[in-house]
Amino acid sequence: MFAAVMEQRPQLMVSATAGDAESFAALIEPLLNPAYRLAAVMLADRSLAEDAVQEASVKAWRKLRQLRGDLKSLRPWFLSIVANECRMAKRQRWWSVLKLADMPTSSPGPDRAGSSDLHEALLRLMPDERLPLVLHFYLDLPIDEVALALHVSPSAAKSRIYRAAKRLRSDLTQEEVF
Amino acid sequence: MTNENFKRELGSVFDEMAGSPSSALPDRVRSSLANVPEQRGPYWIAGVAATLIALVVIGVLFVGNPLNHQPNKIIPGAGSSPSPSAPASPNPSASATPGSGLPAFVCNSSTGLVTDTTTPPQPPVAFVDQVRTGANAGYDRLTIEFNNTQPSQVDVTPQSTAMFTKSPSGQSVTLAGNAGVLVTMKGADEHTAYSGSTDFKTGYAALVEAQQVQDYEGTVQWGLGLSASGCYRAFFLTSPYRLVIDIQSGS
Repeated sequence: MFAAVMEQRPQLMVSATAGDAESFAALIEPLLNPAYRLAAVMLADRSLAEDAVQEASVKAWRKLRQLRGDLKSLRPWFLSIVANECRMAKRQRWWSVLKLADMPTSSPGPDRAGSSDLHEALLRLMPDERLPLVLHFYLDLPIDEVALALHVSPSAAKSRIYRAAKRLRSDLTQEEVF
Repeated sequence: MTNENFKRELGSVFDEMAGSPSSALPDRVRSSLANVPEQRGPYWIAGVAATLIALVVIGVLFVGNPLNHQPNKIIPGAGSSPSPSAPASPNPSASATPGSGLPAFVCNSSTGLVTDTTTPPQPPVAFVDQVRTGANAGYDRLTIEFNNTQPSQVDVTPQSTAMFTKSPSGQSVTLAGNAGVLVTMKGADEHTAYSGSTDFKTGYAALVEAQQVQDYEGTVQWGLGLSASGCYRAFFLTSPYRLVIDIQSGS
C-alpha cells in the first residue's frame, strides 16, 4: 500500500500543501500503522499510542510546510513527530505513575525463553533507546531514514542502533547487527 | 546470532508489545484533520508576537493590581451540590481505563472538576485556537486547545437534557441527543485566535453534538449533546495546552 500511495504522492503532496486535509490524510494513511507500532512500543500502551498518533497527525498537518514538498523525507519526518509526541506524552504528570510492571508480559514457555529474555531486556531500555531499534529492525527503515527521524547523522544513527542492540545482547558484534 | 535471527526475534517481541491498531484509527485521524483549520501563513508569527506583547502588558497590569489576584491553580467549581438533573446515586461510580494512566470516568457527579495544583501563575485569558472531536474505542472525545495557557477554572456539569441557554442572548438551544454536559471555562476567549466551527454534529455513539453556547466576558461555554446520560472524564494536557473531555461510550 505504501508503494502504491508513493506513486500518487506527488499529486497528494501538492494538494495537501495547498491546504487539502483529505489529501494529507490519504498521504499519511499508509504511515499510520508504522506510526502506531512505533508509539505502542515507546509508550507501552496501545490506547495511548493511538492518541499519540492522532495528535501527531494533527501536528504534522500544521507543520506540513516545513517539509517543503520533500517526499523522500515524509516517512522519517512523520515518525519523528510521532516519537516526539510520545516523549511529550510520557512527560505528562499523570503518566509518572505508569509502571513498567503494568506492561503485558506473557509467561515464557520452554521454547520462548530467549524471546522472553529479549522482551525483559527491551522493557529495561528507556523509550528513547528503543526508538532506533524500532525504526531500524521493526519498521525496516534504512539507516539514512533512521538518521532523519532521529535528527542525527547516519553514522550517529548507526551507532545508536548498535549501542541499543548491545544493551539487549552484550555479546553482539557490529557485523551481527548490521 | 545472525542479523536475520536478531531482527526476527526483535520483530516478534515488538509485535507482541504493539499488537495492531484499531480499525478506527484512520477515521479518527481523518476526523481530527477535518476539524483543524487550514495551516497558517507566515503572518501568524506577527499575530503571536502581538498577542504575547498584549499578554505581557496585561500581566504587568494584573500583577500590579492586588484586587485582581487570583489563585494560581485551577480551582474546583463552586457548584458542588448535586444537580437536579443528574442521576441520583449515593455512591459515585468511576471506571478508570485500565493501564491508561488517564483519570477515571465520573458517572454521577454534578460537577466534574479539573484541578491542577502544579500549574505556575497564569495570565488572565487563555485563547482557544482549536476545537476538535474524535471517536475512540470506549469513549468520544472533545479537545479544546489553547495557544498560550489553560483557563483559570473549568467546570464540567452534566444535565439530563440537551437543552442549553446561550449567553448573553438568553436564547435556548436544544442539541442533538437526550442528555447533556455543560463545559464552562473561566478566563478563556474563543473569538481572538479561533475561527473554526462552533457547532460539531458528530453523530458519534456518545457525543452526538458539541456547540459553543457562550464566548463572552472571559467565559467560554460548550454544550455537549449526549445520546444518553453517562460517564465522563476531564483533564488537561500540555504542549500545547488542551482541555480534554471524554464521554464514555458503550463500545
